[in-house]
Amino acid sequence: MVDIRNVSFGYSHAKDTLKNIDLHIDAGECVLLCGRSGCGKTTVTKLVNGLIPHFTENGHLEGRVLVAGMEVAKTELYELSRRIGSVFQNPKSQFFNLDSDAELAFGLENIGASPAYMRKRLNATVQELKIERLTHRGIFSMSGGERQALAFGSVYAMNPDIYVLDEPTANLDGDSVAVLRRQLGEIKHQGKTILIAEHRLYFLTNIIDRAVYIENGEIVRIYSREEFLSLSDAQRIRMGLRTLRADALRATGLPAQNDGHVLEVSDLCCEIRGNCVFDHVNFSAGSGEIVGITGNNGVGKSTLMRCICGLAKEKSGSILFDGRRLTPKQRNRACFCVMQDVTHQLFSDSVWNECELSAGEEGGPEIEAVLRAFDLFEYRDAHPMALSGGQKQRLAIACGVLSGKKILVFDEPTSGLDYEHMMAVAGIIRELAQKDHIVLVVTHDMEFLNCVCDRTVALAFNGKEA
Amino acid sequence: MSTTETVTSRTLKGKDLITIGIFSAIYFAINFIFMLMGGIHPILWIMMPGLIALFTGVPYMILASKVQKPGAVLILGLITALIYYVTGMFTVVILITFASACVLAEVVRWAAKYKSFTGNTISFAIFSVGMIGSPLPLWLFKDSFFAQISGQGISADYLSVLNSLANDGMLVVMVLAPVVLGIVGALIAKTLFRKHFAKAGIV
Amino acid sequence: MAEKGKRGTQELRLDPRTALLLLLFVTIVVFSHGSPYVEFALIAALLCLFFCCGLFKSGLKFILVFVFLLALQYYIFPVAPKIFADFFSILTFYTRKVFPCIMIGTFIVKTEPMRYLILAMRKWHFPQKLVIPLSVTLRYFPAIREEIVYIRDAMKLRRVTGAAKVEAYIVPLMFSAASTAEELSAAAVTRGIENPAPKTSVIELHFRMRDYICIICGLLFVVAALWLR
Repeated sequence: MVDIRNVSFGYSHAKDTLKNIDLHIDAGECVLLCGRSGCGKTTVTKLVNGLIPHFTENGHLEGRVLVAGMEVAKTELYELSRRIGSVFQNPKSQFFNLDSDAELAFGLENIGASPAYMRKRLNATVQELKIERLTHRGIFSMSGGERQALAFGSVYAMNPDIYVLDEPTANLDGDSVAVLRRQLGEIKHQGKTILIAEHRLYFLTNIIDRAVYIENGEIVRIYSREEFLSLSDAQRIRMGLRTLRADALRATGLPAQNDGHVLEVSDLCCEIRGNCVFDHVNFSAGSGEIVGITGNNGVGKSTLMRCICGLAKEKSGSILFDGRRLTPKQRNRACFCVMQDVTHQLFSDSVWNECELSAGEEGGPEIEAVLRAFDLFEYRDAHPMALSGGQKQRLAIACGVLSGKKILVFDEPTSGLDYEHMMAVAGIIRELAQKDHIVLVVTHDMEFLNCVCDRTVALAFNGKEA
Repeated sequence: MSTTETVTSRTLKGKDLITIGIFSAIYFAINFIFMLMGGIHPILWIMMPGLIALFTGVPYMILASKVQKPGAVLILGLITALIYYVTGMFTVVILITFASACVLAEVVRWAAKYKSFTGNTISFAIFSVGMIGSPLPLWLFKDSFFAQISGQGISADYLSVLNSLANDGMLVVMVLAPVVLGIVGALIAKTLFRKHFAKAGIV
Repeated sequence: MAEKGKRGTQELRLDPRTALLLLLFVTIVVFSHGSPYVEFALIAALLCLFFCCGLFKSGLKFILVFVFLLALQYYIFPVAPKIFADFFSILTFYTRKVFPCIMIGTFIVKTEPMRYLILAMRKWHFPQKLVIPLSVTLRYFPAIREEIVYIRDAMKLRRVTGAAKVEAYIVPLMFSAASTAEELSAAAVTRGIENPAPKTSVIELHFRMRDYICIICGLLFVVAALWLR
């Protein structure tokens, strides 16, 4: 089905991102592409779905790629898309329409299918993927997980022979990952070919047939499923891969007890547009503590964090710092939040200036120290937006540290990070706690939670504490 | 073994169309805000094309830089015009000025081969003049305009203020404002390019 | 768009082509007449349309606004301080003049989902090179609003002052726009948007009796307006 023969590719003429890739995938196989961030697995997916070469400018490609009998470089993307379906990692930017029904029909309408055929396919899609709850809705009212499930549905409706997925769970919570897993199981059962590049591995263990480990643009080794699953933890960590097992939550719920600062959330209730998001939430956190906030999307974690940071007003209840109740504005000054999408909070034209924004103009030596600690000093003149995802995150965290604020909130800091970067973030957060910050981490990444958080506060469905 | 070099074509492809769509949304949003502000006071109304030019330099120049092919500006203009039209806010006069400005702007871009900053600046200035069609009826149909509004309870004082504004001098100011402020807007965009967008590599 | 506002139900909606044609008629009428009779008749007719399609709240709001405009012009401005009249006279005059256009525009936004309007344009053979960017523009408006909220939140947590604030809004907005353009295009071209074959549609458009009635009424208004000049 897929035949990649001796392919080398570089986005620029200076450097090759992929070297001598040879990969053959049979029909009905599910192949995983894994490796550290930047190893080239996304680039391989682009070879298969045709984004390389048709969508890249100034790249140079050597070798041949044949998919479903079509030579990718010589076939138009719209022809390729009849047989190859692609799902990407960002739920916010994959949808073309404003309503979900139109989105599901999008691919079919582009093909020029007859209305009767389209209705048949759409009904089949909704039933087979069990996405009735996604129909007849505005996409902007959907959560990230729902949008991603919709994206999958839109591709499924086109009934391609091969599915190419590029880190589809990067921004998803546990439940949404389970939904994707189910959807993948469905198409595997139908005999479709699947090529998936991923960091998060635990949900794929029963589906993949082979795993391709890529390092620095070359295929280092191809594992069969048994070989891959029998990798020891030590080997896996050396390869820079995330866990292969679904970790259960291990942190406990002991109350805070220390003599530093204390943040207390007391009987908090928040509303959005008249609807109660959560109520009667109580917990406290002290200096040096790392508290994890878990719960599925839509349960109110983000609202809770926004409220604590003073970006949303509480309806009732209060937030106390060292016994004093804080107004939203005061909370703005006391808290720093590293958001899930860091691009919204980087404003300057260089890493150094970004830090100065937080530290003030006299903070020179302090800024240098922090940048060195975060492995960003050599990039101090680079533009923040030119950094990689992980580097941007570290920059945002650096700004948080330099701001001197005592309460630090992290919203999904590890989405899409590979093992080493995840551990690096965990290390940074532990250090912050040691420096007496109060750290709140919103995450659904169990592997991360278990190695970083002392306690967890789990928000259950209707926003109450579990 | 075959080597494929990617070639950029001259026609608008899917990515270009979508880029145009997104930056048109930003352009329209800014344009709309000033359209609304123009209703508050005659001076703001007359200066509206100029103010819009000042603030829409950035999205326009980014679009011009990302889609270096014929048609980008034309489609931008058409979309703006269509949305205004469908929401009931565009008159025939604006349609004519706007359409001609778009076409001229495209011609300038083509002549400057799409890459030159000066070319894009001139094209932007011309494009921004397109909005003069909104206050223009004040001069074009002066008599009928005044006849219409005087019948609707507007004070004689106000009429004389308006009359004094609707002279040839102000006409020149109104037409020149988008040109001058457009150039300023483009220069602002250039600074931002150097500081941010080009530095980070998105243009 | 229609998802958010109060929506005419399936049975009470017009074909989007009719709505767009009505828009054309209303615009012609508004800019070619001078008589208040035509003006009132037109607004009354549009109100009928609103109420027949279930847009009661909007219809009432428009009535209130129009009455308010008249009150401003004939009762308030003559006795109000000059500054007040100076500022709002033109706005009031212009709003009143294009009032029917705003009404029909609102009608379209509230009753026709984007999907139907795009389909109407396709049926009228608008070029794809226009329809695709237009769809994207409409789809991106709510995204702009989301972005601005995020950026504003981020700014509250950091010390950004004065003029730097404007830069702090524009720059992330542009970066976000550029990356969305990149990602959205990838998702669109891998689902065949560049296919030159004519696109089909799951939903179908049919003219019904109500469409013909509306079109005929619209034409009558146009004739009346042109005749009474």
